[in-house]
This record gives sequence, C-alpha cells and structure tokens, in this order.
Amino acid sequence: MYRRWLWPSLSFPGVLWLIVLFVVPFYAVLAVSLGTVDPILFQPVPIWNPLEWNVGWLQEALQRLAPGGIWFDVGIRTIVYVALSLVLCLLIGYPVAYYTARHAGRWKGLILILIILPLWISYMMRMLAWVNLLQADGYINRFLMFTHVLSQPRDWLGGSSSTVIFALVYGYIPYLILPLFASLDRIERSHVEAARDLGASPWSAFRTVTLPLSKTGILGGAVLITLPMFGDYYTPNIVSMSPKTSMIGNQIDLYFHGGPQPTLGAALTIILAVFLTFLMAYYMWSIHRAQRDVGAVGAL
Amino acid sequence: MARGEIELTKLTKEFAEVRAVDAIDLHVPGGEFFSLLGPSGCGKTTTLRMIAGFERPTSGQIVLDGTDVAYTPPHQRNVNTVFQNYALFPHLNVYDNIAFGLKRAKRPKAEIRDRVGKALELVQLSGYERRKSSQLSGGQQQRVALARALILNPAVLLLDEPLGALDAKLRKTLQIELKALQQEVGITFLYVTHDQEEALTMSDRLAVMNAGKVEQVGNPRDVYEDPETLFVADFLGVSNLMAAQIVSTSTSACKVAVDGYELETRGTDLDVTGEAKIVIRPERIELEPHGSQSGPNRIPGMVERVVYIGSAMQVIVRAATGESLQALVQNTGSAIPYEQGTPLQLHLPVDALRLLPSGIGDAPSLKGEEPDPEPAAAG
Amino acid sequence: MTTVAEQRPAAGFSTSARLRGWLRNPWGKPRFLVLITWAYILWSIVPVLIAVQFSFNEARSRTVWDSFSTRWYWGDPVDSVWHDPTLRHALVQTFKLAGADVLIAVPIGVLLALGLARWHGRGSAASNFIMLFPLVTPEIVMGVSLLLVFSELFTFIHTGTTAQILGHVTFSISFVVVIVRGRLFSIGRQYEEAAADLGASPFVALTRVLLPLLTPAIVAAAAVVFAISADDFVISQWLSRGGDTDTVPIRIYSATRAAPLPSVNAIATIMMVITLLIVTLGFLTWRAFTRGESKAGTAAEDFGTAFRL
Repeated sequence: MYRRWLWPSLSFPGVLWLIVLFVVPFYAVLAVSLGTVDPILFQPVPIWNPLEWNVGWLQEALQRLAPGGIWFDVGIRTIVYVALSLVLCLLIGYPVAYYTARHAGRWKGLILILIILPLWISYMMRMLAWVNLLQADGYINRFLMFTHVLSQPRDWLGGSSSTVIFALVYGYIPYLILPLFASLDRIERSHVEAARDLGASPWSAFRTVTLPLSKTGILGGAVLITLPMFGDYYTPNIVSMSPKTSMIGNQIDLYFHGGPQPTLGAALTIILAVFLTFLMAYYMWSIHRAQRDVGAVGAL
Repeated sequence: MARGEIELTKLTKEFAEVRAVDAIDLHVPGGEFFSLLGPSGCGKTTTLRMIAGFERPTSGQIVLDGTDVAYTPPHQRNVNTVFQNYALFPHLNVYDNIAFGLKRAKRPKAEIRDRVGKALELVQLSGYERRKSSQLSGGQQQRVALARALILNPAVLLLDEPLGALDAKLRKTLQIELKALQQEVGITFLYVTHDQEEALTMSDRLAVMNAGKVEQVGNPRDVYEDPETLFVADFLGVSNLMAAQIVSTSTSACKVAVDGYELETRGTDLDVTGEAKIVIRPERIELEPHGSQSGPNRIPGMVERVVYIGSAMQVIVRAATGESLQALVQNTGSAIPYEQGTPLQLHLPVDALRLLPSGIGDAPSLKGEEPDPEPAAAG
Repeated sequence: MTTVAEQRPAAGFSTSARLRGWLRNPWGKPRFLVLITWAYILWSIVPVLIAVQFSFNEARSRTVWDSFSTRWYWGDPVDSVWHDPTLRHALVQTFKLAGADVLIAVPIGVLLALGLARWHGRGSAASNFIMLFPLVTPEIVMGVSLLLVFSELFTFIHTGTTAQILGHVTFSISFVVVIVRGRLFSIGRQYEEAAADLGASPFVALTRVLLPLLTPAIVAAAAVVFAISADDFVISQWLSRGGDTDTVPIRIYSATRAAPLPSVNAIATIMMVITLLIVTLGFLTWRAFTRGESKAGTAAEDFGTAFRL
C-alpha cells in the first residue's frame, strides 16, 4: 500500500541524529581513553584510528580498579551499594506492586497515581526533601530525640553509607515498582485460582505461580534501576559530601571536573560501560529464558 | 455487460516460505452474491485482500471488468471493502465516515449531503449523522461500514467476515438484510466466511477453499449435495464417510463393496478403481425397522446413541459394516422408538450416495467416525 | 450452665469467631500488604510535602518552622525566586531547554516511531537497537561522551545552551518512540487500509487518518519529554557553561548542601507544580481521546504501562 522506501525515509532523521549525537560521542570516549595525553598542556589527545589505539591509559585505569589499586575500594563499594539498594527496593517494592496489581480493588486507580507520582517529581526535589529532614535540626533528629532513641542529634549527612543506600532506595524505587506492577497486573487471576483449587495455600500459590510468572517484571525492573545506579554520583554527593562514600560515578566526575584528567575519566567510563554491557547481556539472557519458560510478554 | 465481473487467473501469494494462495483460478460473474468459504488459514482472506489491493500478489492476474488491477494501488480500484472490525474512523462521526470517500473524490458539498442521506436511508440509520462510532452498537457500526463502502458505487463489494463479531441472533437478522441489500443494489458481493451455514444461506454461488486452493465452486445445493472432494464433503455439514472398494464405475451408477455388502452409488465421470470413499448426508439416511423388506443399499445396524436437538434427533447407528453413521430424523412424533441398542435397518438411497476418490483433498478429521452433535459447527 | 456450654455460638456473631474466620479466609486480603503499601506511599510523598511546606516558611530555615509566608517566592527583595537572578535565570533556562526539547524531539521521534514500526527491511533491526540504547545508558556515560565529543570532535559547539539542547533531545527521542509506537500497535493498519480503500492516497491516509489517531500519544509524549527534560540533572550539568546556563535541578543540587535558604524549596516547588500540571494535561488528553475505545484497563494503567520498557 505504501512505497517501500517510505518507512526508512521517515526513520532517517531520528537515526541520523542518534548516530551523530549518541554513537559518535561514544566512539569519542573510546578514542580519548585509548589515546594519549599531551605532556605539556595535560590535554587529552584522542586517537581516531583504531589501528593506532594506545591501551596505556586503559591499562592504568584497570590497574587502579584491581585489588590493591586506588579505586578498588570505590569499585567494591559501588557494587555493594547497588546490590543492597536493589535488594531493599525489591523487598519494599514487590509487596507494594503486588498489592496494587492484585488486591487493590477499587483503590487501584488512586494508588497507581500515587505510585507514579514520584516519577514526575524532580529527583533533586526528592533528595532535597530528605536532606532537609536529615539535618542536625531536622525533623528526623528531633523525632528520634523526642522518643529518646537518640540523646543528641546524629550527623546523617556527613559520610554515612546507610544514608547513601537509603537515598538510593528512596530515589530509584518508583522505577522498579512500575514495571513490577505491569508484570504482576498481567498475570491472569485464573492461574492463581487454579493453584488454590488444586490445594495450594495462599503462600504456596504465590511461590509457585505468581512469583515465577513475575520474573520478567523483576528482571526488567532490576535492569531499569541498577544500570543508572551504577553511574550515580549526585546522590552520594547530596546526602554525603565525604569521599568515604564515593561511587564509581563520583570518580569519573572527579576526573572530569576535579582533576581534570579526562583521559583517565574516559577510560573509567569505558570500563563502566563494558561492565554494564555484560550485566545487561546477562539480564537479557535471563529475561529471554524466563519468557520462553513462561510465555509472558517481555520487557524491553 | 456484466458489471463487477471478477476473473482470477493463477493468482498466487507467498509469505516467506508459505503459499497462502496457490495459483487459484476463479470466475465471478457480475451481480452475484459470491462467498469464499473455508477454515482459517485457507487463503480466503488473503485472496480478498489481494482483490482489495492491500496485498501484492506474488504472481497472477486479477481482472476486474476487463482490466487487470493486480498491481493497482487500492485507492485507485473500483472496489470497496467492509472490514472485519468495521474500521470506522474513531475521530470522525457517522456522517464524515460515510462521506469520506466522496470527499476524497472531491465531490461538491451539496451532492455529498444528498448521497450520504440516501445511503443512511438504505441502511436504516437516518438521523445518526452526528454520532461517533463508539456510541453505536455492533450492528449499527456494521451498517455504517456498509453505507460507507456502498456510497461510492463500487463494481464489487468485498466483505471480510463482517458478521463475526456479532451475537447469533443479530447475525441471522443481518444475513437476511445483507442478502436483500445485495439484490437491491445489484452489484457483486464477494463474501468471506468460515461459517458454512452462513455461506449456504446467503450465496448465489460459493467457492470452498482449503490450504490455498479452490476445492469446489458451485451453487449451495450442488456444493452441499454433490461434494467433489473429501474436504468439501467434510467441511460442509456432517458427512458420513465409509471406506469402500470399487467394483465398477459408470456415468449412470457405480457399484462398490463395503465389508461384504454391495452398494450402488450415483454415477461419476471419474475414472477410478481400487479404494475409494462413499459419502451420504445424515438427513438422507432412511431408518427402517429391523427386519423390514430388504432391497438394494440396505445394511443392518444398531442404535449406538441418540442426541435430541429440539427440532430433530441425531441417531448414531453402528452399521454392520463397522462404521458409525449419523442419521438426522425430524421429530414428527414417529412411531419407531430410537433407544440405545435398538436394532434397525439403514437404507442409503442410491441417488444420495456419492463416490469420492480416496485421498483427494483429505479432510482434517473423518467425521463419519465421530459424529458431531452440532451439525452447524463445521470442521 | 450446661445448656449454655452446649450451645454453639452462631457463626460470625462473636468477635473471636469473626477474627478466626478472617484469619482463615482463603481469599482475604493480607492486611500487611495494605499496611506496607500505604506506608510506602506516605514515606514516598510526605517528605516532599514537608519540603513544599517549608518553602512557605517565614524564617530563613529549611528545618525549623516559623509561620506561613510567601517571601521566598516573591516577597523577599533579595533572595526570593522572583528577585534572585540566579534562581530566575535557572527557571528560564529550564523552560528554554524543555521547550526546545519538546519542539525538536517530538517530531523526530514521531517520524522515527512510524518508520521503525513499519520498516522490516535491512537496517531496521540495527536502527531499532540504536533507538533503544539511550534508554538503558547511564546518564553519566552519556554526559561524558557528549562532553568529549563537543570538546574533541565537534569543537564548533561549546558547552552551553546549544549543547544542552542537543543532549536533551538525544535522550528524549527514544521516549517519544516508545510511547508513540505503543499507540501505533494498538491502532493497527486497519484505518489506513480503510482510507485507501475509500480512495485516499497514501499521503492522505497518513496525514488525515493516522496522525489524528496518534494525537493522544503525541501529546502524552510531549508532556513526558517536557517532564524528563525539566528534571534532567546530569546532562544539563555536564554541558553547562555555568552562570545562566544552569538549570533548576543544578541550582537545587548546589544549594542543597550550601545556602540553607527556603528559596531553594520554593524553586523546587514551582518546578514540581508546573511539571505535574503538564503531565496531568497530557494524561487527561490521552484519556479524552481514547475514551470509548475498547481497550481494557483504566486510562491510568494505559498511560503508566506505556512506559514499561
């Protein structure tokens, strides 16, 4: 009905834009990290020809990340923060998504709006809200002292890992709940009823039917929050100005705005991107497997 | 001169490795209500879409009133379609939907208003101009879709299972209306359906399709009573199929042997020997009391099961030859009690018994063995 | 008394029987789920409400409440949002970027959505892949790459508004595609075919039939792009030249730990209200247009699940 060249032509502006401003910049990162540094001006000298790439700086970056290197702690800390945050997000988010999808009844629409709401409230504002509450004279300290849990105000914002994890959970959990909700919502009521009919207790029906069927949602949501979390630097900066809690993102940020040593920063960025690609490949493979087993409509 | 005459010549459509439509030849004279009947996947919808212009044929010709339109874009063909889901434009009201084609043809406003009014009268929806399609019932939407297509005076109207989404009672009413409409308007209606009862009641002629090929073309009576292939015999109504050995064939009568019983069937001009199938419709089987006069084409049997379906009874009889045959007996308060285990005699009248070559157009399941309690629900 | 002891209590009338019944009810909603959900909602929203409350604080504190005042919005001659140039410029810059983002990314994204949805030839898979990638790329990676490409390759573009706009559009296009494509799939090809059947040329079918039907998705996409652009921090910061190319999120970020004035609460509240208004408008438009269509589920679910990636 339509000419065959119509659809590629319509796609052309968008694809061109993305190539020029997404793919090419990524190549620029490669070229810088595998380039050299001008010794006098300390400026990065990108090498565009792949045949001439210099792996020196990349090696340097890898060494610093390896056990014993100066970034090793940062790397481990990042992984720990993200892992703990993910677990907490799941522990809190899954019941919420589950309730909304399956038991909310006439409240469903309202609760859904309330759950989606944080997505549209500026991330910065949500962090600001907690910074205010966690100040020395903020409500949290005042409440805890009022209930005699604390005898004097505690410094929450001075370099505390738990504060950072708390902030990460608070910030990212809405992005987990939504895909989880979508996936749980799609599970047919009749599947669970069948399990109950065949003798399963509520918990057992949940474990053997609902949970497996929601796997793609869990994986999809996990991808959606851990990938950006690995690159997060502003959250630790806001709730803790201390290098004691810095993540990989902070390191990259430092090398571009603190140092600057852009080449090292670029190298670290490449390493982070590759690591995340592996992670994503693993997730995609798991989703593919879960989809195949269960036949559910997948994420991504 | 016939208007709306369709001639398909070696029309083929391939999708990837699959031949959805396999070199079919079909001739539809103008002014007919013609149906394409077949199970899902038989190629009937693809054929329709090629005639409409939404699919490019892989090869072949579609000649409409003398011109080959196979490669003409759909908006330039004098053919209009009523879609399965009606496809009424949600953002336009009834008036604008029906006027759409006329506006594309740049007709003057006054003419459009006049013609839309007449079209609405034709489908009995005058006064509904301002409504949106979401405010209409299924039956009303269908009529708007009809009006929208007919207002352009196409040579052929294509209908893609238009009654599928409606409930049974509404469907019956609309079948009658559609048939009356076609006779009133006088153009060719090409109607696609998988419901054999629908095709039989509405069509002047029909084509039975299977796996991309046309198995048989003819008027409803011929197709139902004289199936030419196993598939057609099985798809339309319930068929009682029996395996037989051919003894002799001729154009006036044939003789076959079924498990020791010799039966006479209608003549055929097929030249076949060896194994074959014979088929008889349930309503033609005559049930005679056990031990009554014998004659040609009589086989003893025993009642296996009786299914009461209101106006008639399905009596499943196990014949002495081994097969289970389904007979349809009208409830006239007959004297013969049909209970499980009653012995009786099956009479298969010669002119109702038909010989089919074994293996041509094999049916997906041999209904003769497992009687269908719903004769209307086809294959 | 034996008679009383032998009397079985009528089911459902005594409290203990009812409690036992509730506990044993195989289809009852587990109470703890209700608690967790509402506790989560409160935990999620109340801190923001408190921050909003403090934006109306008379005192110069974000933590100690004095009395209601609008000084931080327009009252205070030095530090209110209206009078403080850094805050005002931040607002203007945020709207500039968001507006430009919508005007550029939405048309490109709609065309791309149409193209990708229907294109099945060579290159379509790769194009689809390229489109999906920005959705899963951490912003810092995008920030680094854009900064480097502007400083090493496209050196005619310096950090500042232009660079920021280019960056915003780059991550916004994919959102538009996902939203519009979802709507395209639910529309299907039937309306364009009907239009062609009735004599419409392909161009007319696209513009007079398909595009009007896509309107709710386009409006929703515009609202979403506005929201994510206004909320964007990383790309804006990395491509900022400082001064008046700083956006509201950047201002909030730098002010959060530094000057403890409630004016930062005020500007955050302003941004939030405007963004929520625009998103609500987008949602209402979506619902108004798709009313009467036979899709299952409430409009809220449709709108929300359009974003399940």
